[in-house]
Amino acid sequence: MKVRKLIALGLCAAMVSTMTVAPVLAEEEAATEEAAAEETTEEEAAEETTEEAAAEETAEEATDDAAAAEDPTAQFEGLVANEAYEFPMMVKSFQSTYWDAAQEGMKMAADELGVTYTAQGPNSESDIADQVNMINTAISADPVGLGLAACDTSSVQDALQTCLDKGIPVVTFDTGIADAPEGSVVCEVATDNVQAGSVAAENMYPAIKDVIANAEGQVIIGEINQDATALNIQQRGTGFIDKMIELIQADGKTVAVTGNEFYVNAATGADADAESADVVIQVAVPAQTTVELCSTEAQAILSQENCIAVFGSNQVAAEGVIAANANLNVLGSDAANGDVIGVGFDAGSIIKGAVQDGTFIGAVTQSPLMMGYYAIYALTAAANGQELVDVPTEGYWYDATNMEDESIAPNLYD
Amino acid sequence: MTRKKKSILSDQRFIVLLVVIILAGIFSILSKEFRQYTTLLSMLDFSYYDLLMAIGVTFPLITGGVDLSIGTGMVCYALIAGTMVRSHGCPVLVAMLLCVVLGVLIGLLNGVLIGVMNLPPFLATLCTCMITRGLGSLYSATPWPTLTQEGGWFHSIFKLTIGTGRSADRYPLGFLWMILLVLLMEFVLNHTKFGRYTIAIGSNKEAAALSGINVKFYHVMVYVVCGLFTGLASIAYAAVTPTVQPGTGAGLEMDAIGGVFVGGVAASGGYGSVLGTFVGIFVIMLLKTGLPYIGLQANWQQIITGIVLIVAVLIDILKEKKR
Repeated sequence: MKVRKLIALGLCAAMVSTMTVAPVLAEEEAATEEAAAEETTEEEAAEETTEEAAAEETAEEATDDAAAAEDPTAQFEGLVANEAYEFPMMVKSFQSTYWDAAQEGMKMAADELGVTYTAQGPNSESDIADQVNMINTAISADPVGLGLAACDTSSVQDALQTCLDKGIPVVTFDTGIADAPEGSVVCEVATDNVQAGSVAAENMYPAIKDVIANAEGQVIIGEINQDATALNIQQRGTGFIDKMIELIQADGKTVAVTGNEFYVNAATGADADAESADVVIQVAVPAQTTVELCSTEAQAILSQENCIAVFGSNQVAAEGVIAANANLNVLGSDAANGDVIGVGFDAGSIIKGAVQDGTFIGAVTQSPLMMGYYAIYALTAAANGQELVDVPTEGYWYDATNMEDESIAPNLYD
Repeated sequence: MTRKKKSILSDQRFIVLLVVIILAGIFSILSKEFRQYTTLLSMLDFSYYDLLMAIGVTFPLITGGVDLSIGTGMVCYALIAGTMVRSHGCPVLVAMLLCVVLGVLIGLLNGVLIGVMNLPPFLATLCTCMITRGLGSLYSATPWPTLTQEGGWFHSIFKLTIGTGRSADRYPLGFLWMILLVLLMEFVLNHTKFGRYTIAIGSNKEAAALSGINVKFYHVMVYVVCGLFTGLASIAYAAVTPTVQPGTGAGLEMDAIGGVFVGGVAASGGYGSVLGTFVGIFVIMLLKTGLPYIGLQANWQQIITGIVLIVAVLIDILKEKKR
């Protein structure tokens, strides 16, 4: 009898584990948010000049010496819509103000060009099936073009094929689709996330350089990523880690990466094991993409005595760090005096507030406004029959000193 | 019979309390960071809304029903009320009342669908879960006022902060309210007409009706009480989450419902206790908080929580059999 009970218990446990793992995996896969683009410059946004309207400017900054000759936004110069086009724009959700800023950009461009758009999106970024349905409905109305920020890049493959068959040009914005059917996506307008992640590392390092140099034992740098499956978060997280390793090693210290398996394996250049390294980069990923769970992970990292810095790689993760700090109160700007240096990503009033009051020394913002803006331009050009090249947008560093700058402020959505 | 049942009940609660102590002990031994006061503080921070939802949902679960709308409902009310504060200059106190009123209204809707129109609880609350989720998504991400902003005082209901910055002392005042509420609802469950009828409906609805209980009314009230506590939970949620995100909340009810079952509510209804729920939630909270501290990857937290839940329900069923 007892044996039977034990077997029953064991079976149940096994069943529960499989049941639990499957939805978790599915959910993580679904949690795509923003994605990658091509290489751009690494100049600091703060140094950039402001000459024209903020709108044009961002695009200009996205070019370095090599790309300057062929500024991808030059293709839109003098663009006039041949007709009063109407474009369905598929956003990932209306969940964050990020998408409000993107819509603001769309509106700007639509007003300038005399075209219209309708923004549509599911309840949350995990509602992949809902978005696919919306896309299919939009396609069945034979639009002249389709703007798409896909929640899940693999689920939209069929829809893209249909667009290709029907001759509907697709412009992806925010999230690129690496394996789209040949010819379906005519233009991609997205952040270079590797660059954006490295910008966070470059700006964090000067603040902790001396602490690392003078440390008696091992020190820890934390990174909170909301997931390990979305391409943009992967690239951003890895971009940060790789740049940080490079900077630390340049000063003659050794580095190890621990925590979430994906990021540990993706990191390049770590040259020590967790026991002996001078600096350990701890990467945490919560079970679900919620602020609460990010906060718990951040709390576990921040409460270690030798933790000197932490990076939250998107709005949810950065707010999780802020929530953890509400009790711990370890973040600040004076690393020499024992403050832990915090760096965020994206905007929103909470993160902006943290940057303003010195909880974060700064954060990296993407340019949802410009992505929405150029997506409409690209769609109009495509509908006119123009050939297009991709438009990468940058991640910009902002801190208390440059938040009000004309080049930065429009991207700092609430 | 009654006497025997009582001893088993207290048994289950005792076992769960032991589990809480053992878990806390294990985490404390394995991680010195876990032993810090701030860890306790943030675990409590995030436990309030779970606990409030769990207290509420204990009642439908005792009747053999369920309320799946508590997670999305909670986020929905916090969003609507937060938007009122942020965009329409509504005072925080009014927003808090609004949370409770919205909770009661959705609870009433659930109650009428289930108690009067005889929809299965799972189905009825699944519908309101969808409704509240969609309703919440009509609003954009909403931060309630922070502690230092005007109206930020409501944070102090749950956590008293004396001083500013690093030298500030923080006291988990919310824990006191939780204990009082748990004791109050435990009393309501065992010593009032409403509580006893709730149990009677769960044990045998037909018998309850035949004995002259206004089953419809009390069945509706069970969900209203659940809604009321979901409304309270949304205030606690707004107090600890920097930004309330639209479209979220689905899944939060599972932590609460899981906690209630760990706490010893019969899987088929008919008995349970709010004290048990109180202890059960802390099993869930300890797992959620403690596992990252010992370096376990996030997915394991859910797996282990699931296994603990099964064991808890199995203990309950085995005891039932013995009886």
